[in-house]
Amino acid sequence: MDCSTVARGLGAVCLSVLLCSVDAHSATPAQGWRIDEAQTSIGFTIDAVGFPTTYGHFAHYRGRLLIDFDRPVKSYTIFTVDAASVDVGSPSFNDFVKSSALLNVERFPTMSFVSTQVEKIDAHTARVTGNLTLLGVTKPITFTVDVATDPAAKGRAVAFVAKGRIQRSDFGMKFGIPLIDDALQITVKTRALSDE
Amino acid sequence: MNNRTTAWPLSLRLAHWLSAALVVGALGLGAFMVLAVHNAATRFELTQVHKSIGAGVLVLALMRLGLRCVIRAPKPESAARTVAILAKAVHVSLYFLLLLLPLSGWLMVTSTPVRVPTVVFGLFDLPYPLAPDMVRFRFAHAMHIVLAVALAALVTLHVGAGFVHARVWRDRTLARMSLWAD
Repeated sequence: MDCSTVARGLGAVCLSVLLCSVDAHSATPAQGWRIDEAQTSIGFTIDAVGFPTTYGHFAHYRGRLLIDFDRPVKSYTIFTVDAASVDVGSPSFNDFVKSSALLNVERFPTMSFVSTQVEKIDAHTARVTGNLTLLGVTKPITFTVDVATDPAAKGRAVAFVAKGRIQRSDFGMKFGIPLIDDALQITVKTRALSDE
Repeated sequence: MNNRTTAWPLSLRLAHWLSAALVVGALGLGAFMVLAVHNAATRFELTQVHKSIGAGVLVLALMRLGLRCVIRAPKPESAARTVAILAKAVHVSLYFLLLLLPLSGWLMVTSTPVRVPTVVFGLFDLPYPLAPDMVRFRFAHAMHIVLAVALAALVTLHVGAGFVHARVWRDRTLARMSLWAD
């Protein structure tokens, strides 16, 4: 869903806060950092009236990260998500989410996030702002990113949890409102590893 | 001359029991998925099945009413006047509910802003003749719940009456509806 798209975007942003260039899909090392795919998820949640909270994630995505620990403002990220890789738990539910009512994956096969600003809030938190493109509509979005280094990894592993929220109607996705919430929570969890 | 009352025609007996299975299935599944299923994907899948079964209930009810128009119902077992009137009232009410309950469900799925296509048993798309409308949806939703509770109560009464006929009064009322009736 658009949520997941946002989530991917957030994840990309988070990584960019700290790291270098990473291809999340192929896990190609870039500037000594790579994404630990086993520890990565690009997820979203959305609430509805009279229906359980829907949890979903996207399986396929590509991302690039430029991370500068000393000058976070120089960090940068681009993420592209394969909309058709959405998984909300069952085949027919997936098909419905992919339909023209929601993600419309035939017309909009990808979603993207491009960061425009990375700010260090404190030693463990960053704020990443960027442009999210969903259903062909580009809007700014801001993610709060928790950053945690793994002491056991001796600085070679950094975990990120990025959270953001969009109003999906901003992107033209108005299906189900008001029974299905307009607000969509995006959570990207990932870990970057250094080979150096 | 044989004094035994005759059985219902096979077509109506088949329709009755198929309808009974679908009604119990739709009521049970509807209650289960709403009250006990808290996983979105599972709820979604079960709702699709529930809608298909409901469409089947509606089609069968219409078929049974059509059959009742062309096939004469067999003479009932003799019973006290009050019992006969009560039985008639329950049977007429059951037919009404077998029509109104699935129709209220249809009104729900065509009125809700969450318009998920209903592919009846994977065969065809149920048409949605009305535009989404939250007020109409809330009305249809409330009606669906009230009618479902009413149908569950009447089905219980209907089943209980069949038991009383067979085991207490020991008449042929239930036997005449058996798929193996002679």
